[in-house]
Amino acid sequence: MASADPLDSALDLLRRLNPKDVKQNVDYLCQLAPSLTEELLESVDIPLAVKQCLKTKRDFLCCDYNRDGDSWRSPWSNEFQPPLDDGEGIAPSDRIRKMEVKANEAFDVYRELYFEGGISSVYLWDMDDGFAGCVLLKKAVSPSPKSNGSWDSIHVFDAQDRARTAHYKLTSTVILSLGNEAENLGTMDLSGNMVRQVEQDMAVEDDGSHVANIGKACGPIRETRFMVEDMELKMRNLLQEVYFGKAKDVVGDLRSIPPLSETNRDRATQREMINSMAR
Amino acid sequence: MASNSAALASFVESTPPGELQDVTKAIKSILADDPSVLQSLEPAFEKYNEEQFTTVKLPGGSEEVIVSSHNSLGGGRYYDVANQSSFAFDHATQKASSVQSHVLESPQSDLVKSLLKSLYQHTLEHYPKSSLGVYPIENDSAIAVVTVANKYSPNNFWNGRWRSHYIISPSNSTLTGLLRVDVHYYEDGNVRLQTSKPVSVTLSSTSATEISRQIALAEKKYQEDLNRAFGSLSEGAFKALRRQLPITRQKLEWEKISGYRLGQDIGGGRSR
Repeated sequence: MASADPLDSALDLLRRLNPKDVKQNVDYLCQLAPSLTEELLESVDIPLAVKQCLKTKRDFLCCDYNRDGDSWRSPWSNEFQPPLDDGEGIAPSDRIRKMEVKANEAFDVYRELYFEGGISSVYLWDMDDGFAGCVLLKKAVSPSPKSNGSWDSIHVFDAQDRARTAHYKLTSTVILSLGNEAENLGTMDLSGNMVRQVEQDMAVEDDGSHVANIGKACGPIRETRFMVEDMELKMRNLLQEVYFGKAKDVVGDLRSIPPLSETNRDRATQREMINSMAR
Repeated sequence: MASNSAALASFVESTPPGELQDVTKAIKSILADDPSVLQSLEPAFEKYNEEQFTTVKLPGGSEEVIVSSHNSLGGGRYYDVANQSSFAFDHATQKASSVQSHVLESPQSDLVKSLLKSLYQHTLEHYPKSSLGVYPIENDSAIAVVTVANKYSPNNFWNGRWRSHYIISPSNSTLTGLLRVDVHYYEDGNVRLQTSKPVSVTLSSTSATEISRQIALAEKKYQEDLNRAFGSLSEGAFKALRRQLPITRQKLEWEKISGYRLGQDIGGGRSR
């Protein structure tokens, strides 16, 4: 039997090992199999790093999409930090940058309304037949000294222009880490990530109905905003179900608080009752 | 930078319940089946199996017995008190072989046997499926009690393990222990629950009945506290991270996005 593809195996491994250590594990994998480095860095989501924009003093988020070497582009100033030695760096075209500015303003409002804090950044880039981009959101909390949590959303999308419609594809990852510590509880860590993907075709509105450049600039990205909002709502519900429903249920499957002889007796009684009513 | 074998050992160490063979298979594929590297993993496999209280079915047997540092005879062999046998254990494949008769000879034999009996009743009542081991340790000056319950459901992308580990010191009437839960859920993602709760109790007597009673109490209380902790994380940190809907209870009106800004200073990086 032929061996599995090494990249698939590396991704399988990352799906199994402790998600808390994902960054460390990606580094290890790159060390063990240097030929996989580029693909791993592109396809594995790790918690987002934060930098402060020197020009605007606002925080922004860093990922592979706003990186050029060891510098990251601020969505607020469009400048790389630290400045690139060899000049400009990879930045979007004027048309796409205008859309990016609008999108950052919009998701800044979105962030405030849903996260009531945290940091957001949107990056767009040109594609041959349209454009692509990512929406990043990050927030950390510590409601008490012994309890903490962090949320990282990474939404990557592309929009391909077709005649009267555009084809949108969105891949969303949420990295959610929660920790709790108390005398009676010891330590409890509930961490991980979940990924979802959607694709849809949507009609592109006539740009003529909008005012000149601004309309043109924010028209195509409109649909992705709805898609991101819908997706985050779905993912929040999913995370709630898995973290606080499924994980708790598995603990109950491993060990039962009430004695099993009682539970079994209750079940037998219940069965008997149902049977007698059916008779 | 860590050596390659240190990197691989850390992979083995963080392997979720019931997935060691999957992790090994992935490592083999990434390293293009380099046999020397796998050989260097032998100590990591041994450490993993002993710390995780790996269970194994003996050839011809029906119940699963435990592998731990407490019942190691050295040379890759382990013993089980209830089955009165010892066996060779392959740490890479997690299979047992060469079963031999092994009768426990220890000044603590009587206590070990009565603990096995009373704790077995306790595990039957609270674990749908579990393995139990009781072993004299530290030159018969203490007794180790190990309970492990596994439930694997790889077809539904989840696996779980509960470990209880106690040391009883009859000379100073203490029971100390550690309760640990490890759950892995990996459908469209990778979510891990890991908990650890130390236990420390002063025993009023060192009879098997009293020891079993204290163990039952500690485990019940912990499981209740853990259940409550799910609720407090959900209501606390999780809610504080992201609202389900904005305070207006409706989705964003993107077309009026500039209106949201009126009278509001929404700066990036601001937090409440």
